[in-house]
Amino acid sequence: MVRSFLLLFLLLLNYSAEANPRYSDPDGCLSCHAYEGLNFIDENGVFRSATIDGDHYASSLHGSVPCKDCHRKVIDYPHKVENTEVDCGASCHIEEPSEGVKYSHDVIHEEMDKSVHADGWYKGLTGGNRLEELETEQDPSCRRCHSNTAYIAEMQLEKFKEAFDHAETECGNCHQGKAWMGQFGGHILRRFVGRRWNNIENNQLCIQCHGDIDAMRDVKQEDVKTLEKHPPSERFIQSSESYTKTLHGRLIDANSDFGASCIDCHAPDGWKHEIRAYTDEKSASHPDNLAESCGQSNCHAYSKKPGNEGFTMTDMHSLSLLGLSSMEKPLTDTDLWQSNWFRSAWPLMIAGIVFAIGSLIWWFFYRTDKKIIAILGGDRFERVMIGRKPKKARAKAAARKSRVPKAAVTAPEIAATTPATINQDAATTEVEKTPKKSDDSEA
Amino acid sequence: MRVIQNLKAIPKVQKFRYGMILLASLSLLGPLAFLPQLVGNDDLCGQLCMRRFYLYFPGMTWDDFFVHVNSATIGVMAFAIILITTLFFGRIWCGYLCPVGGLAELSSRMLNDRWKIEFRSLPQIQIRYGYFGFYLVAMPALGISACSLCNFITIPRLIEAMSGEYRGMIYLVSSVGLVNLALLLLLGVFASKGRAYCQFLCPIGAADSIVNRIGARLPFAHRIRVAKERCTGCNICARNCMCGAIKMVDKIAVVDQMSCMSCHECVDVCDWNALAWTAPPKHKHNSPKRIKKNTEIFPLPDWQAIHIHPVKEEAGRVLPQISGVSIFNAMVLLTVISVIIVGSFL
Repeated sequence: MVRSFLLLFLLLLNYSAEANPRYSDPDGCLSCHAYEGLNFIDENGVFRSATIDGDHYASSLHGSVPCKDCHRKVIDYPHKVENTEVDCGASCHIEEPSEGVKYSHDVIHEEMDKSVHADGWYKGLTGGNRLEELETEQDPSCRRCHSNTAYIAEMQLEKFKEAFDHAETECGNCHQGKAWMGQFGGHILRRFVGRRWNNIENNQLCIQCHGDIDAMRDVKQEDVKTLEKHPPSERFIQSSESYTKTLHGRLIDANSDFGASCIDCHAPDGWKHEIRAYTDEKSASHPDNLAESCGQSNCHAYSKKPGNEGFTMTDMHSLSLLGLSSMEKPLTDTDLWQSNWFRSAWPLMIAGIVFAIGSLIWWFFYRTDKKIIAILGGDRFERVMIGRKPKKARAKAAARKSRVPKAAVTAPEIAATTPATINQDAATTEVEKTPKKSDDSEA
Repeated sequence: MRVIQNLKAIPKVQKFRYGMILLASLSLLGPLAFLPQLVGNDDLCGQLCMRRFYLYFPGMTWDDFFVHVNSATIGVMAFAIILITTLFFGRIWCGYLCPVGGLAELSSRMLNDRWKIEFRSLPQIQIRYGYFGFYLVAMPALGISACSLCNFITIPRLIEAMSGEYRGMIYLVSSVGLVNLALLLLLGVFASKGRAYCQFLCPIGAADSIVNRIGARLPFAHRIRVAKERCTGCNICARNCMCGAIKMVDKIAVVDQMSCMSCHECVDVCDWNALAWTAPPKHKHNSPKRIKKNTEIFPLPDWQAIHIHPVKEEAGRVLPQISGVSIFNAMVLLTVISVIIVGSFL
């Protein structure tokens, strides 16, 4: 009897544990918004759904946050649509236990405000599920990149679990109490585990918009000093395309740790939101600051050192990289006819024709010649390495040699003393000398 | 038939050497690239790179150096092995294994001599170390990637391009590839004996030849050595030396250990056994082979690796054959030329 009662009690306990949602809905919002088909058409004519899937919300990043913490203007029922706007810069529900300061996204907002994307943030737009912004707005809102994703990214879950198991012994030694360990511990751990996205996902975020070349053509860029709007440069329009051709982009595509993602260079510091135009002097990608940006830890460390100014001269968004776009059929591309390859192929072709014709001439007329000299530098080789006299001196010596026997022959006293025999001798020596002379000049 | 006769006429050691170069090319270069693929590479770059880690970037520290060493671990080990074997046996890697210089040499040897440019008589030590200094210091300081003038990337890419791979074709289409191709043709295929690139521009060869020269004095080092008393001055070795290392000085062949690759060809062509690839002799200088009835018969050959023959004399003072000033001049000249070349495609 007692045993079955205990079993029933355990079952009840189990049931109550399962039935508890992650957070009870204290304001009763879900009593209406949980209904499926709670749809309406807004002032822009966009078909919207106001249905909230309770399970889906509870498992999201803000799953434990009551609706009213963000939708502050909603006080009673029924409420107006305009009152549902959310300000991501407002202070949050989380309190920093040591200082009692409420957490806020305002630091990020401040940083974002300095960036080229600053116009994307304004009150009211950022929190709402504004579908129309995708088509009309040039600057991204918070939501464009940060949808209500899972609090712990999937790639970090194992790492987070491991850290969470040890949190009580490691962090809990000093940071005791429920406020720290219960509520704040997880938030801190999330920070310790590291970045939410890997480099590939980071780049995908940027390339989602910047990779759309037609959309980028419509972007209005702002001059940093005069604040005038002007159409974008071709370099800006093709920026994601040229980036994927650089080693930075290709390494990340290959899932390497060594590649540099977009924000690694464009927003290396702080909360990674301060993306400025490269013409801005405060920008990390401004030519004056490149040495510092390239020389971040684990990257090109010595670019900061004096004497290495040339290192930062490489254009990472060079338009010439775009020529590498058609990797599938590079030699059938008509663009290649205008490329340097074909221009420089002309002298190569002329040299090739000279080579071919020269070879034919040699084959027909000179192939039986034993002696072959290099077309260039052959004489110098003979002179410097072999130690023979230069060509001119050799020719002179040969000429001198050929003169000497003639002088001997025509010497009058020899002719006078012994006319017949010596003349014969002289004739033979002359015959002997002449082939020897030709030997010398040839050898 | 003449081709077969010509092939048969190749000395035995040279046949072995060509075979070794072909084997090394097959195992190190595409399409097989058997050895690089052991570490997941299909060319000689990245971890296998032997030519980048000793570059000096102004202001770099030892930590930076070790980062470079770490990123090219296998290349550093291979480089160390090359230097150690050089110390004992001469430049075996350069002459017998290197697929990059070797392929250029073999293709040059297949071409008729009348098309060749004779580079061997140029002052190669000045040019080599002038360029080496430019490569080590000036190129990093000027922000020029050392890879932009690298033969170890040109030859693998060229072979890839010939097999139809896009990466190789695209490399050759680029201006960097074109400059490298031109260097390969001028200093490789159309150079007499095809080793001008190794002699002038290869940084591995430059480091290797210093070790070769230092090791030439050691008692155990195998080098190409000359027995002066046997040399007749027929100069056939100087004509056949692919590195231009043999020079006729006072009608005696003299081997320059800064340039010699120990390829053994001079030994093969010498009719008088005046050259040999050996360690220094154990016997004393000019000691007779045997003494018979107080008559000395035929002194043993005195294998000499280094010949000191001062050529410049100034005010009674003997000047070294190659001065530091000439190397510095060459470095300045080459820097200017290279900046013009590299600047043209930046």
